[in-house]
Amino acid sequence: MFKKSFLSFLAVVFMVSILLAGCSSNQPSGGEEGQSNVKTKEIKKEGKDITIAVAENFISMDPHDTNDTLSYSAQKTMLEGLLGFDKEMKVIPVLAESYKASTNAKVFTFKLKHGIKFHDGTPLNAEAVKVNIDRLADPNNNLKRHSLFEMVEKTEAIDEYTVKVTLKKPFGAMINNFAHPAAMMISPKALKKYDKEVARHPVGTGPYVFKEWKPGDYLKVEKNATYWQKDLPKLDSITFKPVPENGSRVAMLQTGEADFIYPVPTEQAKAINGKKGIVVENDPSIVVRYMSMNTMKKPFSEKKVRQAMNYAVNKEAFMKVVMQGYADKMDSVIAPETQFYSAQKTYDFNIEKAKKLLKEAGYENGFTAKIWGSNTSSAQKAMEFLQQQLSQVNIKLKIEPMEAGTMSEKIWSVDDPKKANIELYYGGWSPSTGDADWGVRPLLGGKDAFPPKSYNTAYFDNGKSNELLNQALQTADPKVREEAYAKLQTLLWEEAPWVFLSVDHTMLGKREYLKGVTLLPDGSLTVTDGEIVQ
Amino acid sequence: MFQYFIKRLAGIIPILMIVSIFIFLFVHMIPGDPARLVAGQDATQQDVESVRKQLELDKPLHQQYLSFVTNMIHGDFGHSLKTKRPVIEEIQSRFMPTFWLSVWSMVWAVLFGLLIGVVSASKRNKWQDYAGMFGAVAGISLPSFWMGLMLIQLFSVKLGWFPTGGLDSWKSYVLPSLTLGAGVAAVIARFTRSSLMDILKEDYIRTGRAKGLHERKVVWDHGLKNALIPVVTMTGLQFGFLLGGSIVIETVFGWPGLGRLLVDSVSFRDYPVIQSLMLLFALEFIIINLIVDLLYGVMNPQIRYE
Repeated sequence: MFKKSFLSFLAVVFMVSILLAGCSSNQPSGGEEGQSNVKTKEIKKEGKDITIAVAENFISMDPHDTNDTLSYSAQKTMLEGLLGFDKEMKVIPVLAESYKASTNAKVFTFKLKHGIKFHDGTPLNAEAVKVNIDRLADPNNNLKRHSLFEMVEKTEAIDEYTVKVTLKKPFGAMINNFAHPAAMMISPKALKKYDKEVARHPVGTGPYVFKEWKPGDYLKVEKNATYWQKDLPKLDSITFKPVPENGSRVAMLQTGEADFIYPVPTEQAKAINGKKGIVVENDPSIVVRYMSMNTMKKPFSEKKVRQAMNYAVNKEAFMKVVMQGYADKMDSVIAPETQFYSAQKTYDFNIEKAKKLLKEAGYENGFTAKIWGSNTSSAQKAMEFLQQQLSQVNIKLKIEPMEAGTMSEKIWSVDDPKKANIELYYGGWSPSTGDADWGVRPLLGGKDAFPPKSYNTAYFDNGKSNELLNQALQTADPKVREEAYAKLQTLLWEEAPWVFLSVDHTMLGKREYLKGVTLLPDGSLTVTDGEIVQ
Repeated sequence: MFQYFIKRLAGIIPILMIVSIFIFLFVHMIPGDPARLVAGQDATQQDVESVRKQLELDKPLHQQYLSFVTNMIHGDFGHSLKTKRPVIEEIQSRFMPTFWLSVWSMVWAVLFGLLIGVVSASKRNKWQDYAGMFGAVAGISLPSFWMGLMLIQLFSVKLGWFPTGGLDSWKSYVLPSLTLGAGVAAVIARFTRSSLMDILKEDYIRTGRAKGLHERKVVWDHGLKNALIPVVTMTGLQFGFLLGGSIVIETVFGWPGLGRLLVDSVSFRDYPVIQSLMLLFALEFIIINLIVDLLYGVMNPQIRYE
């Protein structure tokens, strides 16, 4: 008996292993057929419900209390602001019909579009806008985006459709703050009803209405049948799914379980692009990659050393090796899609020049320094690359990768800038307002930006540059601002507080039939025009 | 036995108290400032301080601990620093997916593990033994990460039988539980084999064979029953680990479970969530241990509880 049952067990095991082996080894012959089946089956999309797979969990659906781009992506399907960004990060009116800024950049007037209603039926009027701006401007609400509106003195509803916002002091970049997703409007009724819980019950004016959110599992939005833009939206529903593992996310696109995924891991982009109805798209973002140098510390206090390090790193190789070719060369302290960007003459790879500069600065024999950065594999790869490059000019880097919480403690627990341990830091920055001010001030804006106040890991404090930064904020006149930022960028490029590396690309993968869904240069998703065309 | 059970149950409370102190201290000792993480990238120092005050992280440690314990006794586990949802809700919505995934992984791990273990032990040093142990070593050594991705490639992408991830229907359980169970099955198989081999050398087994009992009855009834004690202990422990949620499996299969919640909250320094999760895991282990202890008596009536 025992023998018999054992034999049947063996037979089962044997069959299973044959099956498994057969599936993997028969790929060349059987696989072809399978693939063509899959192709005909998958190219046709049934219904107008789509699934978007993303890399992380959503944190909050309250735009005023959000600081991650991913949560904003989901929010933007349901909520809208007075202003917004188009695909080139240019400010465009959304709920506002028109807007006006006083030349001293202190008073901003918005005329609202008529007849727009929130999902709960509340009309969008000046009073509703006032409730939202007041909420953001009040420090007692402890909102994460208060900092973008802390300069607001008062907000007034002039008439049903006119709002006037007055600032305490001039702030030339304010229009961009209004276009930032943080300034999206929530129904005042919902704010009252849900209070803090509004983060889980978003009610806006957007093309899609909130349906359900199971944290860690999915978030679903449905078509807003009474959307104010004619003939939109064209999809019935969107389901967002967080799938942290790159390979699994790609598999979902391959099987058709997801119609759109982002980010696409750069190492798999080429392998899936164009196959089985999948398209991979990459476009320049506003995210810059840099290595900051602590300019208060020797030898980085020497401008020639900083320039030498810029010459010693081959940026083309960096983009190829570290970014798999999905990046552009950085040619200013901010990315080209950022407002008021102006291109500079790049530090082209030149070992001789680097050596010469080091010699002039008295570091002919090089030096040793430590570099801090995140412990993700891509950051480590980048730091190893920099280590190899700089070794050519006898600069020896000691790499110290750190987990995010530990690193923030090390960088921000500094009270006296002179005692800061940081030497080199590999980082990235995305100026979410799309304005030059937010691309420079938090990172290189002098003493006020030193850790722990902000992100000036280079401890860069230059009187001229601080002055230009301030000057540009004193007016809302784009011409004057542009001029100031042009001068500022030239100055920062010459001072080289960073080794300027590259500008990231956004990477998305989608099925061919899905049109109109895309990523903005700030890495957030836009789906308003999304439709299925087959 | 009932008395024993009550005594053990009462013992849970002091254990949890002690555990809570350690958890609290360890969690607060991880470097990193939750106030800064909550306040976010663009926050000014002033923002960070106001967040710290709001979260009561500015109070002395012992006060924080006391309010943590008092709130907990009142059933209030606090709010997540990251999502601001009540911790109890965060955990609730993710407990069941992890629980059922653990159960299914365990079911098939026990089935296959026992079968392979018994066959290997009774066919010691024959090809069945070698094949079984080869499978077991493979099960332990294959990284579950790799195995998960391979299963996805084969069964989702190529064959389209099962979904790549998420939790929609019973089909969603198949691939993750196979991946998760493989390692456990392998461990059970090895434990069963070695334990059963020892038992099969015992005198009473020889007696059984001598009086003409069928080999199957000798192995399965007389042998296995006694060989099971270490296996049950180990299986209980493995189940405890599974209930903690597998970070790797949950990441690969986009599973809405406890493992990812723990990792997310550790990297965010989400103190209330970490503390509650750790307490939950401690409680799970205590309960499993209790069940295992009670099972001993069922398997071997000679074991007495005092």
